[in-house]
Amino acid sequence: MTVTATRPRRRAKSPGLRRRRRRDHLRALAFLSPWLLGTGLFFLYPLVTTAWLSFTKYDGFVSPTWDGLTNWKFVFQQYPFFWPALRNTVWFVVVLVTLRIIAGLVLGMLVIHVKRGSSVLRTIFYAPYLAPPVAGTLAFVFLLNPGTGPVNAILGRLGLGEPGWFNDPTWAKPALTLLALWGVGDLMVIFMASLLDVPRELYEAASLDGAGAVRRFRHVTLPHLRPILLFAVITGVITTMQYYTEPLIAGQVSSGQIGGSGQQVEPGYPGGSTLTLPQLVYNLGFQRFDIGAACVIAMVLFVLSMAFAALLMRRGSGFLTAED
Amino acid sequence: MTGPRHLRRRIAGCAMLASLALALTACFGSSKGGANDNPDADVTITFWHGWSAPNEVGAINANIAAFEKKYPNITVKAVGNITDDKINQALRAGGPNAPDVVSSFTTDNVGEFCDSKAFVDLAPFMQKDGIDPKTTFPPAQLSYTQYNGDQCALPLLSDAYGLYYNKDMFNAAGISSPPKTLSEFDADAVKLTKQSGDTYSQLGFMPDYHGYESTITHFASQWSPTYFTSAGKSNVADDAGIKAAFEWQKALVGKLGGYSRLEKYRTTFGDEFSNNNPFMTGQVAMAIDGEWRAGMIDDSNSKVSYGVAPFPVPDSMASQYGKGYITGTIVGIASTSQKQNAAWEFVKFMTTDTDAVVSFANAIHNVPSTIAALASPKVSQDPNFQQFIKIAANPNSNTTPSSPNGGAYQLTLQNLGYNYESGKQADLQSGLEATAKTIDNDIAQAQ
Amino acid sequence: MTTTPAPPSAIGPDAPDAMAPPRGDEPAPYRRPHPFLDWVWLHALGIALALLFVLPFVFMILTALMSDQQTLTRDMWPNPFAWHNFVDIWHTQGFGIWWRNTIVYAVSGTVLTLLSSVPVAYALAYFRFRGRNVAMMVVIATMMLPPQVAIIPLYLVWAQDLHLTGTLWPLIIPMAFGDAFSIFLLRQFMLTVPREYLEAARMDGCSDLRTLLRVVVPMVRPAIFAVGLFQFFYCWNDYFGPQIYSSENPGAWTLSYGLGSLKSAHHTDWNLTMAATVLVMAPVIIVFFFAQKAFIEGVTLTGVKG
Repeated sequence: MTVTATRPRRRAKSPGLRRRRRRDHLRALAFLSPWLLGTGLFFLYPLVTTAWLSFTKYDGFVSPTWDGLTNWKFVFQQYPFFWPALRNTVWFVVVLVTLRIIAGLVLGMLVIHVKRGSSVLRTIFYAPYLAPPVAGTLAFVFLLNPGTGPVNAILGRLGLGEPGWFNDPTWAKPALTLLALWGVGDLMVIFMASLLDVPRELYEAASLDGAGAVRRFRHVTLPHLRPILLFAVITGVITTMQYYTEPLIAGQVSSGQIGGSGQQVEPGYPGGSTLTLPQLVYNLGFQRFDIGAACVIAMVLFVLSMAFAALLMRRGSGFLTAED
Repeated sequence: MTGPRHLRRRIAGCAMLASLALALTACFGSSKGGANDNPDADVTITFWHGWSAPNEVGAINANIAAFEKKYPNITVKAVGNITDDKINQALRAGGPNAPDVVSSFTTDNVGEFCDSKAFVDLAPFMQKDGIDPKTTFPPAQLSYTQYNGDQCALPLLSDAYGLYYNKDMFNAAGISSPPKTLSEFDADAVKLTKQSGDTYSQLGFMPDYHGYESTITHFASQWSPTYFTSAGKSNVADDAGIKAAFEWQKALVGKLGGYSRLEKYRTTFGDEFSNNNPFMTGQVAMAIDGEWRAGMIDDSNSKVSYGVAPFPVPDSMASQYGKGYITGTIVGIASTSQKQNAAWEFVKFMTTDTDAVVSFANAIHNVPSTIAALASPKVSQDPNFQQFIKIAANPNSNTTPSSPNGGAYQLTLQNLGYNYESGKQADLQSGLEATAKTIDNDIAQAQ
Repeated sequence: MTTTPAPPSAIGPDAPDAMAPPRGDEPAPYRRPHPFLDWVWLHALGIALALLFVLPFVFMILTALMSDQQTLTRDMWPNPFAWHNFVDIWHTQGFGIWWRNTIVYAVSGTVLTLLSSVPVAYALAYFRFRGRNVAMMVVIATMMLPPQVAIIPLYLVWAQDLHLTGTLWPLIIPMAFGDAFSIFLLRQFMLTVPREYLEAARMDGCSDLRTLLRVVVPMVRPAIFAVGLFQFFYCWNDYFGPQIYSSENPGAWTLSYGLGSLKSAHHTDWNLTMAATVLVMAPVIIVFFFAQKAFIEGVTLTGVKG
């Protein structure tokens, strides 16, 4: 690492320069050291170990022994939860990310265009984003409880039919989607910033050309939003691949079964419909203590999320490395 | 001067070295315990248990106080509300915060704990103190605390499952005595069910597998099934009893109004272990439950007037009426413990001291787990409670066997139950075959 | 979904409040053919959506005030109002301890993260060295790594070597080694500080540390505040970390974990569960109302400004 001052003055090579260069190295090292250490300890080390453990048999008691591809075969061919969890994760990635972006965009445009009370609206739409995931999930499980929740009481009174929500395999994912849409405030705010940034003259020019609202949106707003949309998609995908707390709590609480002593909680209630890949790491690694197989799932997650991270860095390299 | 590339490599090298050192200690540094401690020295041992209801915590603390009075040098630090996941994690971690004595509400994991040597073999301790397990503990309790001949746990009270019924609802429906066979039971359940709109004002029995204790293993024990062949392979696809249990439950679901209606009603139930348990609130007229429920009803302000009886048996096995599913709490000593002799004194007191066993059993309404305690005149003579003692003593009562990967096979079987009752899995036999294969795969992977 | 890892924008300290709603006297973004109809339509939609967003909070509070039996019915209005639920929930074993632990975790986590991340962000923003881009890529990769990928080896070290599971240490100590998301945001913000200020400080003979503390930190204060808030709420909301590391000891449970266990391990009825939920949400929402601007600035900071 050659460290130079922010604006190095060119001088003839001299012992003084060497000394300064060395000092610069040390300086960079000093400032980066906590992070370098942290990256080694909490990123590189676990990553290498996870990869290695995925090829071993290890139950946490007896030292790990090399086991070749056994765990990989087990996970892909025999472990009954892997493919359903992968399918669910893909479902969430496609549906949840898309709907969140649409909702964030709609809310952002609404708040910008409303003349009265726009800051009140902004506050109201943003606040649920801050609700702790466990608290928000508990609240939604109660609100959507088919037997006693107020939502179905209202739907029933309106004669609109009463879905089983968190207790019905076909409705559990939509129920989680509602919860995620309730917390769409972060995207709304990001879109608002970008929407306010569109030069007004462009809209005016388009209007003069006779473009209607839809065409203005398509030809002026959308192109302007492209980078932020790409950003929202990729970060959305990555966050959704980590989707853990909400489906876990929703499944546990709505199943009505206790996670107490002597009970094994069934993964992904109802009917495995809320099971996601990160939950499998817990199921295999911390409930079954099949550490090798858990590391296989971890590696799958790693490859998927790094693929998207790479996409972000390539497509978005312009703003990611934005210098000066 | 260090060239840039060189330096970079050196930094990477340092990180890798640190990682490697960590990796080595991480994987091979589990601490070892031992039984070399002096039990007469002043020590504090940590005891993990799963009880959480205030009356239960009070009872276990009273027992601990009695122990500490008898052994003033040993202090017991009790930690309650511990789940089996956490026990599994802590037994692997060891260290000063880890437990010395561990109890679990299930017998499922005994095989795993024994096999992996997470629990120490208690035979040498018993030998040293002249305790003969065969004359101390009933055979069923003794067998579920063993695995491949190792006695690595001891029974700490046991549980028996029976039928709870609401006497007022029975009277109102004109039913004079609890059902003895499943066909009588089905008829009574239908008679006791009052549908209103798309829900119920009263349900005879909640057969759904999420209906708290209505699990497939509890039902199937009325058929006395064989879960594993002698070669250790899953037998669920070949056992007629297990298949019959699935079919009986599915038929009953149909008779009571169908799966979706029952499921919707189920979501109006309060928590199983709160005072809003559906049997205690009168939402259901009958329930399968353990003996502790009687204690909870008596301790609560529930007005339900209840009776207990053995759970009905299949018509073809009418002569075996009186049996039920039995299980129990088990207690063992962690092999990572540094204070195993002191821990043993505590385990010995809790599991074999007749007064301790009886008073604890009476306090939390569990079945005593030693032969002497079962015969003790101090055991509660309450007729409801005696009913469970009879079920526990019935020679046809049975439990779910332990397996090398704990209760995972029961979970797999229960999953089939969810899919079968909801109609997702239409063909039971092929479902059972797939389940058997999954169970075998899981066990092979765990070994 | 908690802190969404996210890329950058370059909203500098001098950037106007991007979030300020357009002032009334400015022309509307574009002309509309039926201004009045649009006005009605828009505001009706706004009110309807706002109601949908507020209703969960309303029902939560109403349920928290019901009796345990009433929560098992379809009633929506508490009868009678059971205000004592908010007292009763405090008597749940451990509830007070969960608060203490959560505050300890969130406060120390935030302080340590800031102390460790600010210098790293400074170095990444201003020092020129080969591998700087690689370092940035590693920061981004770390940021996007699902925590489950690395959890098993880390858990094994904390549990089997350091014997620190069942305490808050495995949650707090890693915060002293820089947090990728915070480093990233701070660095993006620092890039907007004009170089002239740094040059001037150097001319005056300031050391790097002095420049950082006296020149850069004051100028990026909004970003530090936003990052601090994010980290605080990350810790406050964290469920996975406490579930893995501290859950085996009820004395080390945090609010998120305790709340998640109320229904399962503590057999708490819905009314008390909702009372606890309201109490756990309350501090977050209250802080939000007081620090709204910093929050929104922070979120905006995570987005790209086209």
